[in-house]
Amino acid sequence: MPGTILENLSGKKLSVLVGILLTFQLACFLVGLIAPSPANFQNVGATFCVDRNPDNKDENRWFTRQCKESLHDLGNTTGLSAKNIVFVFEMPLFRVDFSRWQQKLVGMVHFEQIYQEGRKLTPTVQLSIDARLAYADKTLDGARTPWTRYAHAQENRHMDCDLDAIRDHKDGYPYDCSMVPLFELGNLYHDYYLLNVRLPQSQNSELGRVHDVQLNVIFMNGGFTKVCVSMKTVFFPLVLGVLLWFWRRVFILSRTPALLEYMLLSLGVTLAVLNFPLEYFSLYFDMPYMLILSDVRQGVFYAMLLSFWLVFAGEHMLIQDNGEKNCLKMYWKHLSTIAVGCMSLLIFDLCERGVQLVNPFYSIWVTPTGTHLALSFVILAGLSACMYFLFLCYMVWCVFKNISIKRSVLPSMSQARRLHYEGIIYRFNFLMAVTLICAAVTVVSFILSQVAEGQNKWDEELDFEVSSVLYTGVYGMWNVYICGMLMLYAPSHKQWPSDPTGQDGEELEFSRLPTESVPSEISSLTSFATKASIE
Amino acid sequence: MQVTVFCVILLTVLSHYTLGDELTNRAKNRGKGSMWWGVAKAGEPNNLSPLSPGTFYSGSSVHTTLRKKQKRIARENPGLLDAISKGANIAIQECQHQFRNEWWNCTTKQFLRGKNLFGKIVDRGCRETAFIYAITSAAVTHAIARACSDGAIETCNCESHYKNRPQVIGNGNSVGAVRDFEWGGCSDNIGFGFAVSREFVDTGERGKSLREKMNLHNNEAGRWHVQSQMKKECKCHGMSGSCTVKTCWMRLPPFRVIGDLLKDRFDGASHITSSNSGIHNSNKAHSNRLPKHSKSNSLMTNSIHAKRENRRKHKYGFQLKPLNPEHKPPGSKDLVYYEMSPGFCEKNPKLGIPGTYGRQCNETSIGVDGCAIMCCGRGSIPQEVIVKGRCNCTFHWCCEVKCDICKTKKIIHTCA
Repeated sequence: MPGTILENLSGKKLSVLVGILLTFQLACFLVGLIAPSPANFQNVGATFCVDRNPDNKDENRWFTRQCKESLHDLGNTTGLSAKNIVFVFEMPLFRVDFSRWQQKLVGMVHFEQIYQEGRKLTPTVQLSIDARLAYADKTLDGARTPWTRYAHAQENRHMDCDLDAIRDHKDGYPYDCSMVPLFELGNLYHDYYLLNVRLPQSQNSELGRVHDVQLNVIFMNGGFTKVCVSMKTVFFPLVLGVLLWFWRRVFILSRTPALLEYMLLSLGVTLAVLNFPLEYFSLYFDMPYMLILSDVRQGVFYAMLLSFWLVFAGEHMLIQDNGEKNCLKMYWKHLSTIAVGCMSLLIFDLCERGVQLVNPFYSIWVTPTGTHLALSFVILAGLSACMYFLFLCYMVWCVFKNISIKRSVLPSMSQARRLHYEGIIYRFNFLMAVTLICAAVTVVSFILSQVAEGQNKWDEELDFEVSSVLYTGVYGMWNVYICGMLMLYAPSHKQWPSDPTGQDGEELEFSRLPTESVPSEISSLTSFATKASIE
Repeated sequence: MQVTVFCVILLTVLSHYTLGDELTNRAKNRGKGSMWWGVAKAGEPNNLSPLSPGTFYSGSSVHTTLRKKQKRIARENPGLLDAISKGANIAIQECQHQFRNEWWNCTTKQFLRGKNLFGKIVDRGCRETAFIYAITSAAVTHAIARACSDGAIETCNCESHYKNRPQVIGNGNSVGAVRDFEWGGCSDNIGFGFAVSREFVDTGERGKSLREKMNLHNNEAGRWHVQSQMKKECKCHGMSGSCTVKTCWMRLPPFRVIGDLLKDRFDGASHITSSNSGIHNSNKAHSNRLPKHSKSNSLMTNSIHAKRENRRKHKYGFQLKPLNPEHKPPGSKDLVYYEMSPGFCEKNPKLGIPGTYGRQCNETSIGVDGCAIMCCGRGSIPQEVIVKGRCNCTFHWCCEVKCDICKTKKIIHTCA
């Protein structure tokens, strides 16, 4: 009877395998040590340029920091109107240029306002922003190509203002408003970017006296991307190799593959897709859809992982199968929660990031309908996630209940079989524990990285970034986890060792029942559990 | 012949005498008044355009007001002097705003030399001096950080970050800078502002006499106020915009906020004494002064100034003693003074105090700005004026303020 490698592997070999996997895991954490923090930012102060010809509709008229006429501050604007003033931001600062390794660019604007006596204040300020984005590249001799239009949009945003600071209405005091997310670029193909922002007067009546304007741009750190891509480059062929080995092993069996084997295979495939170092292409091609692509890749992988857990628990529960060959249909109720959650997230993602392909200034959250739509998708996804976890917990609970019932039967078995089955139960429990540990580590590292963020440095003396160590560690952990699953749950070629002591009635008890189609179960634990439940 | 010899001897004696006098004067004045304040008035504001950073440095007034080290720092960081000058001007404005209703209203002299900018009041180790030192150093920190985000200073920490990484060793300086930016971005601007402010503003203060300690402490207090008022803002930009990846940064506060805080500290400043003040309580005091996870600290450790770190710890690692032993010793954000303020009511030519003659006062107020207190009992002269003021204004965000002009009769009181 074919079993899985997990059951037939000797304790020594198993510990060697686990040791190798743990070494990989440790290496992933160590790799994180050399990486800088995942993302970095730059504060870019606005240059206030004067546009003497605001009605010129030429799309290729750009104001740079060296504009002909600029204002030192916005306190002295006699003779000017709102349409004359252009906020100019050039990215990046300091004579450096963006690298394609930096992956993406997220921009947020902050308007610093000053209270003027007699002015009515509203807690929410509606803004209408005319934003234009241009790019330039570095030529071989170090000069810049002329600015070329990238996008132009008229967008609405809103700011939430904290009016407590000026409760006693002091003239000339600044008050605090939230920053405004302005744009998001899916890749950083060009070297320099230029943003020209205008605030048309008629639509911005709620805006107070603007004193200063700052742009914050966030980009991924090139070092972090490099570390991640190197990890992917190493893992991709490894996973692919394990996958091929696993599939060959399943394929040479005479039986048709079992459901769990299909699930493992597809999980491995999604992992391989996730590991595929697509980022190399973004170094040579303009791929603004990188963000969507990586979102979808991750989403598919998580969906597959969640489905795998469900099926894994279900396949080990085996109460009343009636010998039916297990298939995905049985799990439609459970899997539909994942499908609904993932689909709603996908639609949400496409609504936001999909439109951003055309207009990087687009945000679904600015219009009320958009906000409702986005929120409903997110809530739907959250609900289905809750449903899923309820299902999963119930199933895992059932499995453990089953196992503990069967355990009580164990003493009545012959010595060898008992030890054997106890070993299987132990290893199954061990794998459940590994899954739980992985999930817990993921959750804890997520929380830790949230806490560590902003603090930036864990300790002044330690020169590494906690969030990147956690990121690479967790990423490596799921790779190691799935590789381990693929290896341990591959069908074994070994036959059951003949059981010399089990010559009495128990032999019959544990021989296969005719109602079962032989190949449907992959693990002897499952067959054991099935039989016991049928008894 | 005899006459000429005598003359020469007389001249040498005289010159020696004057030279010696100057030397003793300098020694006496050490720590009293920072010369660099002079950059506030060096050049007209239109020369301070960030577009022409080179032109400013060559100004002759700068040479006379700056120390050697300050000149070196300015030379090494093009654009820095503009920022410092801007900062000094902001400090003056803010000081005058904060003290508009006080006896001492932060008058600045017509510029002669840097240390005379605020008048002779800085010769005294009083509260007002403490405030001047704190607000100027805070304003310089603020202005440098702001100038960094304008890109006006090219050297803002873009290359010193991740300097020690083996992966990012470039061939030349510029290549290295670019590689570093690609690898780990730039570090934040406030750290640079803090460090440069320390280097630049605290140059002359060796921290030996009580006055120098007071200056150092107040300069630090000003900087810490800027640092602590930084506001953290975060943005999630992970998968589908979730918080799997979150980036935070610190935003510079408006300078008015810092001015307000420093004014509060001015009102509750600690009176310190020189007795036993020489204790270098280095460890404890230092950990007290440098909060954990402070940005500047991380900057200090991996910046170009790392080798001076030990000396720096020594320089800032002192604890001042309060005059009243029952009071708490001054904290890192407290302002300290050791001399009582002179009276600001009457003219005092020795300290350059103009008195409150001719100051406007508020008849109805019972505070310092009220005529009873402001005029120091000399009484006030009411004067009826017709004030043309703006009223019923409608504002737009930038420029057009549509107002009616209203004429109101108003009685202005000025101190006799």
